Amino acid sequence: MARITAGVGASHIPALGATIDHGKTGEPYWAPAFAGFDWTRAWEEAQKPDVVILVFNDHATAFDMNFIPTFAIGCAERYAAADEGWGPRKVPDVIGDADLAWHIAQSCILDEFDMTIVNKMDVDHGLTVPLSLMFNQPEAWPCKVVPLAVNVVTYPPPTGNRCYALGEAIARAVASYPEDLNVQVWGTGGMSHQLQGPRAGLINQEWDQRFLDDLTADPQRLRHIPHIEYLRETGSEGIEMVMWLIMRGALGANVRELHRHYHVPASNTAVGHIVLEPIA
Amino acid sequence: MIADKQDIHEYLEELEDIPGTRVFTAARARQGYWLNQFCMTLMKAENRRRFKADERAYLDEWPMTEVQKQAVLDRDYNAALEQGGNIYFLAKVFFTDEVSFLQAVGTMTGMSQPDYQAMMIAGGRSPVGLRSKKDPY
Repeated sequence: MARITAGVGASHIPALGATIDHGKTGEPYWAPAFAGFDWTRAWEEAQKPDVVILVFNDHATAFDMNFIPTFAIGCAERYAAADEGWGPRKVPDVIGDADLAWHIAQSCILDEFDMTIVNKMDVDHGLTVPLSLMFNQPEAWPCKVVPLAVNVVTYPPPTGNRCYALGEAIARAVASYPEDLNVQVWGTGGMSHQLQGPRAGLINQEWDQRFLDDLTADPQRLRHIPHIEYLRETGSEGIEMVMWLIMRGALGANVRELHRHYHVPASNTAVGHIVLEPIA
Repeated sequence: MIADKQDIHEYLEELEDIPGTRVFTAARARQGYWLNQFCMTLMKAENRRRFKADERAYLDEWPMTEVQKQAVLDRDYNAALEQGGNIYFLAKVFFTDEVSFLQAVGTMTGMSQPDYQAMMIAGGRSPVGLRSKKDPY
């Protein structure tokens, strides 16, 4: 049977991807932002996941103002890196796991999560930057990916509670998949940042660290944080952290923290990263 | 487990209580529909080339308001947000200009580029006093 063996949380700041692509990760400004991913790269090499369910948000790339799905699951065989305005990132195509993705979609719909099914989608930095952070620059990504896109752009995004419950439904779906697969769930985006208006540049390290703490210590608190708290405390784009709750929900009641990294700033944003392991 | 549902009117009212922030609500999404859809067209290299060649003519191909067009021509991102623009759509404009998120975002703060960069390196802008318009804390 397929099993969820770990959860990973990570920011997906586009500048991190550009810095990797241009070979500048050793520069003094960038080195501390990347240092915290060395541990995870070595760990991923040992873990060898077969599939990553990668929760991300599309940043006005595949979905414009014409289509705004709250939860969209990629069921395609492969996904190309999108041209976000400066040409596509030169990263390998993302290879899907259409069988598993369709199984999750069907299972979740029967479980009363009405997923949008996507068969064609170019993927933006929200998806490809976490792959680069965890796997660096391989010829081909070392695992298959099931993209799960969440609307956090047009309000209201889903509540944290709904995200957490979707994670629980994904865990049930994976547990009922007959193939023996090592599956990880990644939640991406965040941490505190605001990319707009006179209040731009907002960072709240104390709030972010408490969020990281409570992924292990008190996830039930996290699932009930209202949108307005993310906005007030973590900036308008900090709302992306609801996506980490899908990852957390998929890991079950108790988890162990294996690794954490936090650094300010990368561009306008607080870099957050955590690796969690479910405890049976 | 379903949490207690929040009243939509109270929810939307709260979203307007954040200083220096325009939350991308349905009302803004409707107001900025064509502004944002114009931005999306800049994801194609050919369209970026045509836009750069004659910005005004390119903008005139879309049913945007004059104020929206002027905000784009001026690269006045606060004005564009005020007209229903969303930052992830507007990013297509500043990427076309080969301007980074850090540079473009800094222009909205009233700070100089070096001052904004220095603030971020020093740990970013504190939320203290900027959490609420009604009751600053």
